[in-house]
Amino acid sequence: MQILPFQQPRQPLPLAGYWRLKAFNQRITLLVSQRATWVNMGLVLAVLAASTMSLGMGSVQLSPAEVWLALAGEGPAMHQLVVKELRLMRVLAGIGTGAAFALAGCLMQTLARNRLATPGIIGIDNAATAFAVASVVGVGSALAPPAMSLVGAITATALIFALAGSSGTQGYRFIVVGLGIGAIAGAGTQLILSWVAIDDANAAFPWTIGSLNARSPDAFKLLCAGLALGVFFAYRLAKGLNALRLSETVPTTLGFNIKRLRAASLVLAVFLTGLAVAVAGPVGMVALLGPEIARALCRHRGLPILASALAGALLMVLADLLGRIMLAPLEIPVGIVTAVVGSPYLLWMLLNPNFRSQP
Amino acid sequence: MKALATVITQPAHPPSTALSTHALSAGHGKHRVIESLDFALPENQVTAIVGPNGCGKSTLLNTLGRILAPQGGHVLLDGIDIHHLPSKQVAQKLALLPQETTAPEGMTVLDLVRFGRQPHQPWYSQWSAEDQRIVKAALKAANLLDMQNRELDKLSGGQRQRAWIAMAIAQDTPLLLLDEPTSALDLGHQIEVFELIRSLITQGKTVAMVVHDLLNAARYADHIVAMHEGAIIAQGSPKEILTPELVYELYQVRCDVINDPVNGAPLLVNIRR
Repeated sequence: MQILPFQQPRQPLPLAGYWRLKAFNQRITLLVSQRATWVNMGLVLAVLAASTMSLGMGSVQLSPAEVWLALAGEGPAMHQLVVKELRLMRVLAGIGTGAAFALAGCLMQTLARNRLATPGIIGIDNAATAFAVASVVGVGSALAPPAMSLVGAITATALIFALAGSSGTQGYRFIVVGLGIGAIAGAGTQLILSWVAIDDANAAFPWTIGSLNARSPDAFKLLCAGLALGVFFAYRLAKGLNALRLSETVPTTLGFNIKRLRAASLVLAVFLTGLAVAVAGPVGMVALLGPEIARALCRHRGLPILASALAGALLMVLADLLGRIMLAPLEIPVGIVTAVVGSPYLLWMLLNPNFRSQP
Repeated sequence: MKALATVITQPAHPPSTALSTHALSAGHGKHRVIESLDFALPENQVTAIVGPNGCGKSTLLNTLGRILAPQGGHVLLDGIDIHHLPSKQVAQKLALLPQETTAPEGMTVLDLVRFGRQPHQPWYSQWSAEDQRIVKAALKAANLLDMQNRELDKLSGGQRQRAWIAMAIAQDTPLLLLDEPTSALDLGHQIEVFELIRSLITQGKTVAMVVHDLLNAARYADHIVAMHEGAIIAQGSPKEILTPELVYELYQVRCDVINDPVNGAPLLVNIRR
């Protein structure tokens, strides 16, 4: 229906900051944010640089050139062994988990319209950990720990939803209930650890702080598949989530099915978190910091899906590298490094009088 | 085949779109606000819904705009239950401007107004020539063409509200619902917004708005719907229905009604308890 009576010649209305790609006589027109493109390219380069550093550092020091030669399958056999067999999986796991945590954080912050509502803060990480620890020490279930961490994440979400009641993912109630669930799950983990034999507790310990040491190859493969699907679905949800940034009601007015949008985004965020915890344990703060960095770099225009994932990956690789070289040969688990870096930022967010809770 | 071709080339929509309710009950949870309401929105007019706080005017508007699901009865769009129609299809006919809006950091006027095109865009068509033409027209109608790249954060309240209305205009729907479009605006900005709303009628649109101020309702609306405790107690043109008795019934306030010497609209004077 044509209501606006404008017969004047068509003049284009340029969109500042976007490239407009067109094909088939403008039947296909796509917008690509210039800033987001540069940011993403920059972040990819930063992740590559950080990974090269991480692959080169340790008890055997390698130059970046040596690292790349080894990756290409050339150079001394010893270098290839160190890079490809000992360090590569760890760095890849860092990239994958960081991306998954941060993407989940970005989705959930947008969904709840609150920057504090990351999966870690509302207790999903903790619950996933509690279930994983329970299965490591053999309480109750024979399921592998990674599968159990996913079950834990889903259980926690269901509980939070049931207890938050009609308010759904809106407002502080969701966050406060999540804090409670997280505290209970944390206490449960401690209870299990103090109950079992010391050797079992030791085996389960990496799960409780977040570390890239105890990764299982199967869980990592699952994470990669989940991440690819996750980015794809996140882009499909982006339009609706973007409308949700305006107001609770705007998505409905614009023809989005808000219930489906909420449910799909939440399921996606929970699965990504569960998969990441299954590989690295509950590494806190990446889900908070990743999207924050991405939003700041993209100047808040649009939903920074890829940028969040890349920023999360960068944070994780850097934190792991820092943990390995800071007190070498002693190794600090990556979860402790991110907590030390992230907690002051969280405090600053809470104490800043000009804090805007909306992402 | 020829007959079929003529059927297909007929316009997909009737020239105007009718919004009505049938035995509508609505509310929040157990608290029922509206009970068994029958109402038809007059086409190609500005309708103002007025009434005291808690009378159900926002509930009615939000139910009409399918933000709230009815607890009983139906909201009918061209005779079809709005909840049986695909959401996107409804969004092509009905726009609603919510009362509470937030402008995300960094969002520009053009970014916001562009949202209005969503219901018309398949995923592969994000900024077509048609989108550009209509967004431009919406910006022009709201007098925001030279502010299109400004950030919403940095606009005045009136400008920001006009940008939101421009988004609803860009949705290019025959029906427009506005929930208190001028609340929190000063006098000058109120007039700005009301004049924009009046200008929409000349383009064939139907507008319904919730308004707090009876004076503005009398001045800018063609049709007034007075609600009290979830029921419509009077409706008609401002001249027909605005009487001291109605004002007393709505607000328990005594007043006299005279005609504005300039434009003839009813004026409330000598307002007292």
